[in-house]
Amino acid sequence: MSIEVKELEFFYNKGTSLEKKALDRVSFSVRKGEFVLIAGGIGSGKSTLIRHFNGLLKPHSGFVTVDGIYSGDKNLRSKIGLLMQYPQRQLFGKTVFEDISFGPSNFGLEGDALKERVNEALILAGLNPDISEISPFSLSGGQMRLVALAGVLSMKPEYIVLDEPTSGLDPDNKISLLSTLKKLHSSGISVIVVSHQIDDFLPFADKVILLKKGSVAFTGSSKEYLCSASSQVPVITSLMKDMKYRGFDVAVDIFSVDEAFNEITRVMRSKGVKKDE
Amino acid sequence: MNDLFLSFIPGKSLLHRLDPRTKIIGLMVISICILNVSSLETMALVGLVFSTLVFICRLPVIHFIKSVRPMIPFFSLIFLMQFFFTEGTPILDLNLVSGTYEGLLLGGIVTLKFVFLILFAALITATTSPSGLTTGIEKLLRPLPLRYFGISSHDIAMMMSLSLYFVPMLYDNFKDLKDAQLSRGLDARKEPVKAIMSLVVPLVRMSLRSVDEVALAMESRCYTGQGRSSMHVLNFKNMDYGLFVLFILLVSCLVF
Repeated sequence: MSIEVKELEFFYNKGTSLEKKALDRVSFSVRKGEFVLIAGGIGSGKSTLIRHFNGLLKPHSGFVTVDGIYSGDKNLRSKIGLLMQYPQRQLFGKTVFEDISFGPSNFGLEGDALKERVNEALILAGLNPDISEISPFSLSGGQMRLVALAGVLSMKPEYIVLDEPTSGLDPDNKISLLSTLKKLHSSGISVIVVSHQIDDFLPFADKVILLKKGSVAFTGSSKEYLCSASSQVPVITSLMKDMKYRGFDVAVDIFSVDEAFNEITRVMRSKGVKKDE
Repeated sequence: MNDLFLSFIPGKSLLHRLDPRTKIIGLMVISICILNVSSLETMALVGLVFSTLVFICRLPVIHFIKSVRPMIPFFSLIFLMQFFFTEGTPILDLNLVSGTYEGLLLGGIVTLKFVFLILFAALITATTSPSGLTTGIEKLLRPLPLRYFGISSHDIAMMMSLSLYFVPMLYDNFKDLKDAQLSRGLDARKEPVKAIMSLVVPLVRMSLRSVDEVALAMESRCYTGQGRSSMHVLNFKNMDYGLFVLFILLVSCLVF
């Protein structure tokens, strides 16, 4: 049970003078229940890649299968929830309920079951179910994004793919979104995040895939990612790398300030410096 | 942009280098010619002129095919109307109506007229940058006494360039939205009204917001609409003068 991407190639404007290769022999797999971070700069093919997962784009060569089904199959769209960048822009309903129910009702859910599903999705997205009767446009930007997330969660996807979910969010909203994603992951849903803000996601990513100019430049665990020197790393990691370079024997596979604090304290202690100094 | 409909393709060909004004007037002249064509032989001549121009500007033929493609339903309708509702020798007999040879000929010519009008327009937009095109139109409109109606040729040009700027943006927004709603299981056949609402409401919201933002951005940079210089300084070259002589000859041939 997994997403398999094999030798995927895709061109924009294929067959014209403006032809541009967007994906170049991309291969990887995502197991069910994994938290995967797809990193890469602007124009590295991240957004093009995720549009292949549910068949919005068709590969020019290679293939994507989800649990053994080819990605062109429309029934996959309830299995893979795809949340685009700035998803608050896609809201359209007169009420939050109407908007969230769009997905499941497209897949044939009605009546009480639909109501139940919308409530579940609201709670899962970390929202208060009471807001379901108000207009989504009266909410704040961060809440609108969560409503959009609930709109995808209401389809009960087994995999959820998010494109730059934290861009443009203030720190509070970012933290609540991250904790929502963690909660989703621990409830058994595979979470695939596409982002260049790697600092936010590295700490809990099971697997990191780095795209460069449309091809896979790195695949591995987040610890391995931090140790491979060629790639971009979070600020706190580059601090640790710098300390190591200057002769302190600290570990460099560190994501968070707390971890870094503990590690530095440990090294200082071992050098005989007492805590209160 | 993924789509090539009526969009600019940069290049250095003869057509790219011509003054936008020459190209706009040329388009008008050729449109008058096309509308006056009444036989297939003359239509073939128009086709020959078009192919020569495409060859000169070295653009991919697919670009022009793509610019005609969205109009195919419209063309087919025109053709069928002519085919079935022109009187003459019947060649195809259906029970209710019958197609005639004269209808076939007339329908072919009328349809080709529209096709070539669009093709030439596509040729101009493909070889002229949008800003060059608006500058050209502004200069052409300048002699008109528009300011007595409370509007300057510059205002018109600015409105045009802003609309040109919004078309690809709207299109990109629309594509993203369609992808987002398709991912949520949008099916236009099952519930067309809801499908249209789910695309139109966000699109209008986004457009109004970006219009506001552009207006604010222009105002914050002190836009007044008067006394602005243009990025493009237009100069007629020998080639342009030569073409103007040709245009005048062509039009006078048609008139007399």
